[in-house]
Amino acid sequence: MFFYKIKLSLVFCIYRKGRISADTDADKLPANMEAETSSKEAESSIDLLVIVLDTNPSQHIVRQNPQNLTQILEAVIAFGNAHLMQKAQNKLAVLSCSHHATNFLYPLPRRQVELRQVDGQYEAFSLVEKTVKQQLGSILMNAPRLNGPSESLLAGSMSMALCYISRLQRNVTSGVKMHSRILVLTGSNECASQYMTFMNVFFTAQKLGIVIDTCALDKTLSLLQQGCDITSGQFLKVTQLEGLLQYLLWVFLPAPQMRHKLVLPPPPKVDYRASCFCHRELIDIGYVCSVCLSVFCKYSPICTTCHTIFKTPGPLPIKGKKKKKTDKQ
Amino acid sequence: MADDENEDQKEYRWETGYEKTWEAIKDDEDGLLDGAIAEIIQKAKRQRLAQKTKQNRLGMMRHLYVIVDCSESMSVPDLKPTRLRCTIKLLEQFIEEFFDQNPISQLGIIALKAKRAEKVTELTGTSRVHLKALESLINVSLTSEPSLQNGLDLALKTLKVVPSHASREIVVIMGSLTTCDPVDINLTIDELKKEGIRCSVISLSAEIHVARYLTQQTLGTFGAVLDDAHFRDQLMSQVDPPPAAKTQHNSLIRMGFPHTKNEVEGKDAPLSMCMCHIENLEEPSVLCTTGHHCPQCNSKYCELPVECQSCGLTLVSAPHLARSYHHLIPVPNFEEVTLDSMPTVSSDYNGGVKECYACAKVLTFVADKSIFKCGFCQQFFCIDCDAFIHETLHACVGCNTIPGVDGLVYQQTTKPTSEDPR
Repeated sequence: MFFYKIKLSLVFCIYRKGRISADTDADKLPANMEAETSSKEAESSIDLLVIVLDTNPSQHIVRQNPQNLTQILEAVIAFGNAHLMQKAQNKLAVLSCSHHATNFLYPLPRRQVELRQVDGQYEAFSLVEKTVKQQLGSILMNAPRLNGPSESLLAGSMSMALCYISRLQRNVTSGVKMHSRILVLTGSNECASQYMTFMNVFFTAQKLGIVIDTCALDKTLSLLQQGCDITSGQFLKVTQLEGLLQYLLWVFLPAPQMRHKLVLPPPPKVDYRASCFCHRELIDIGYVCSVCLSVFCKYSPICTTCHTIFKTPGPLPIKGKKKKKTDKQ
Repeated sequence: MADDENEDQKEYRWETGYEKTWEAIKDDEDGLLDGAIAEIIQKAKRQRLAQKTKQNRLGMMRHLYVIVDCSESMSVPDLKPTRLRCTIKLLEQFIEEFFDQNPISQLGIIALKAKRAEKVTELTGTSRVHLKALESLINVSLTSEPSLQNGLDLALKTLKVVPSHASREIVVIMGSLTTCDPVDINLTIDELKKEGIRCSVISLSAEIHVARYLTQQTLGTFGAVLDDAHFRDQLMSQVDPPPAAKTQHNSLIRMGFPHTKNEVEGKDAPLSMCMCHIENLEEPSVLCTTGHHCPQCNSKYCELPVECQSCGLTLVSAPHLARSYHHLIPVPNFEEVTLDSMPTVSSDYNGGVKECYACAKVLTFVADKSIFKCGFCQQFFCIDCDAFIHETLHACVGCNTIPGVDGLVYQQTTKPTSEDPR
């Protein structure tokens, strides 16, 4: 508990983020957490945090005020460094999801950014800051011009994050545990065309034990909400963008293993109802094609998806009953 | 079946020519074996992926009976520690994987004990029941011979009444070389063939003619295991849904999609008990406000998918259905190319290093002799990502991150309705 306070305040010292009082949040942490963190198990394990940052310029919050993106970026860098600071073994990766491509912002396998200690700051932290800013700058400079609003392909970026995590997981030396999680920061609307990819990503994450957290900056995203629920992650909709860093440090910095000891926002009610393929309306009771599993709200003799012809359900049960009766007689 | 005939004609191992297996491994200029070994592993991985062919009609709703031999021969310690323990251990993995991949399917277990067949678990859709039952199976006394026919008959009796739109299957795990049957087993085999029930046999000892005949007649697969790793492979191959049987009828199935009632008119939902635990004395039903309510009769269940006990409606959630979509829309196989053919990206921030598109691994000429290219998005992937994308993720990373790529089309042309928003 005491350590935690120090860590948090250290973060703020280094980044001089101003008068955000870390104490109020830290006071909420239960006292027995110290024992948890100091255990040997925690020391030998690696926590990997992959941040998927939506940098699409057609996001509502960015169009409203382009300065917002800078602020979000600052908060993400500070948050990423706070994660690295928690434990020497912790790892960080940052991906940007823009309107034209998805790229790694950190780490870069190729050229290292030149490093000199600045202002007494730990080199690893300035490396994160410099790499992310430089990389994002060059991506935005080389980006094609945006003609009208375009969607962010978040599901694809998350699948890329999963590939990266699975590569690191393969290379971990035996005996060392790796806990991975993905944090998605986005202000975009959700897009139904990515439904399949989203679902595949969620189930893969669930299978590999990867927690998906989402920090929605603008709208409530029901698909990502489902994903957080499936992988037992945390979903948070930020109401005030100015306090983004505080939200991040408060909700998303603690590892998922110790989250149950914290007082976090209650999970939202996730609607798992299916919507029919014919009218796209949410339904309670529907008909499912036995071949392709398409959902329909009314009975139809031919599946519109896979063109299967169904046998009519009506007369069959009657036939069965009749047969039984004759048998008995 | 052509495969099986070819297999039959194969020579025995001791009749084939003398193989110098070590000559396949060659060291590179530095005298290291890494490259050669990596190549062998890559080939094996590739082969497995290529075997997966696109099937348009699959038996997605599966009703599967696993018949486990519990006779004296299962105590043989050739699989460590014993055949039975090894089987149970692998079955646990199999059941987890089965329900993960086939969420709206059902599974049951039958044990062959001393010439009798005993139902260990009924057909159900929750893995917990089976895992618990398997635990108790470890301590069963292994005596006498098994009866294959009794086991098949028992499974047949239950599977006969399963609705015709479901895919019906039996997987037999046999340790014994003999079977002690009451009447002619061919009658049972004919009956299974007539019903269109797919039977597969995994033999832990050797190939048995009657088992081979059974699988040939019912279009199943037969395998005799070499060791535990091979056994695992054989068992896991049963996880993927088989092609739809000809006898299988297509129909629309009525299903309910329960929504959680957390608040009713501004108040918390009333306390209620779930139907799934109401008759379970060991874990009694707990009064709580959460749960899934059947939209037809309003009875509560704590887990999905489930068949409503009072009105018989199948209750599922939308993600359950989505979980099986990848069997129907697989990612197209990538093309294998050499690293030389990959163009060097000359953008200023790349530095001229070739890397895997998905995991950003730097590709080197020693370790990555062959890389993979998606035909739709033209991106290059390392071998590990290729396997990961096809086996686990089921979505091409390139096609899903680059807007306007044709790759998204293959999802939409085969299934224009994949744009289901929830």
